[in-house]
Amino acid sequence: MRLAAPMRIAAVRLTLPLLILASIGLMLLSKADLAGLDRARVVVDDAMAPLLSTLVQPVDTVAGGVRSVEAMATIYSENNRLREENARLLQWQEVAHRLMNENAELRSLAKLAPEKPLFQVSGQVIADAGGAFARTVLINVGRGEGVARGQAAMTGEGLIGRVVEVGERAARVLLLTDLNSRIPVAIEESGEHAVLAGDNSEQPKLLYVSSKSALKVGARIVTQGSGGVFPPGLPVGVIASTPAPSGEEVARVEPYTALSRLDYVRIVDYGLAGVLPQSMVPAPKAPRPSRGNDAKH
Amino acid sequence: MPGAPRSEIGLPASLVPVLTAVLAAILTVIPLHLPSFAAITPAFVLMTVYYWALYRPELLPNLVVFLVGLLLDFLSGMPYLGISALILLLVRVAVMLEQRVLVNRAFPVLWLGFLLASLGAGALEWMLVCGLRGAFLTPRSFIFQAVLTVACFPPVGLALARLDRAFLVRD
Repeated sequence: MRLAAPMRIAAVRLTLPLLILASIGLMLLSKADLAGLDRARVVVDDAMAPLLSTLVQPVDTVAGGVRSVEAMATIYSENNRLREENARLLQWQEVAHRLMNENAELRSLAKLAPEKPLFQVSGQVIADAGGAFARTVLINVGRGEGVARGQAAMTGEGLIGRVVEVGERAARVLLLTDLNSRIPVAIEESGEHAVLAGDNSEQPKLLYVSSKSALKVGARIVTQGSGGVFPPGLPVGVIASTPAPSGEEVARVEPYTALSRLDYVRIVDYGLAGVLPQSMVPAPKAPRPSRGNDAKH
Repeated sequence: MPGAPRSEIGLPASLVPVLTAVLAAILTVIPLHLPSFAAITPAFVLMTVYYWALYRPELLPNLVVFLVGLLLDFLSGMPYLGISALILLLVRVAVMLEQRVLVNRAFPVLWLGFLLASLGAGALEWMLVCGLRGAFLTPRSFIFQAVLTVACFPPVGLALARLDRAFLVRD
């Protein structure tokens, strides 16, 4: 074994500098946003998607088992909580019905054009970032299902991010918490505009708020239409902390959805081209009917 | 490699280190959906590279380490490709230079070596990301990942040792 060592080291010395140079070169090229690298990302994501989709299923089954055992332990208190929530929601249902009727009446009075139908497709998260830096997820729907860059990614609870990269059968979603995520939002109550900026922590920052008095813990944050990125009013989260003289100088938002435990996400298109350059926003194709979870309304 | 074979290892068995490294890369990105698991997962690939660089460096050569690092960068959506590749290559080299100090020692020594390797890897990743972004980023999540990785090393290290003994019997 010792005899082989010098030869091994010689071989190491030959390949190592080249590989190190290649890594550094790739870093600099990705820093320069080379279009070819983006295509390479799409190709790799597309190629790995079937494998990842297959591997996710057993993991999901095991995790589901763990979750149901956990749920058994809290079944009694959970049931009580749901009863209370149900009572509260029934009241809201009443309110919603009334508002829906009123809205329909007012619309017909004002002769408003009916809202454009939106495109919607669900996908499963097949890879999340895992690392300390990027906050993106890979989902198993792509161009074939009608997904396009710039579309909003949501769960039942609220917005989670937007599509930044689309392959034939996989797409990557940039989460609200990613360092590169900037979303125009509004504080629902006051209508105050702000920008929700990710910084890799669980709670993104709320920037450029002109009046500090609008910042109240628990205030709802929704999307805002300017820039045409998202339609106004999609739920995002609630203010979790406000600037304190002793602590942080920015407010932070707790997203409605736990972004570290995403399972299924919904990709929604409101027909807004958004701030992305036109050439990068391919028109969504008619979705394939193959997947059972497609939905259009 | 000329003169290298010390015991007869079949081709499938000799692929065990590569397979564990690729599996580790996939395991890092697959959503585990465990209730207590945060956004950050331990750096499983670092563990495999550390272990095999120490015990079977010839079965996990630089080129493979580079490619696995690149796969990890692609899968995890890292905006700067090549970072993991560079870090893993440097860890492999560092471990091989210190092989004499670390190999065939008690497990705590192996673990301590891994602690240094993952702290170094975390610090390097943080510096590279800060440099490429041209901005200071809080090192919190990098420190968190390094600590989590060190804490998760014993079971993974022991599993790799099992595989090593089962498939790649030493003479």
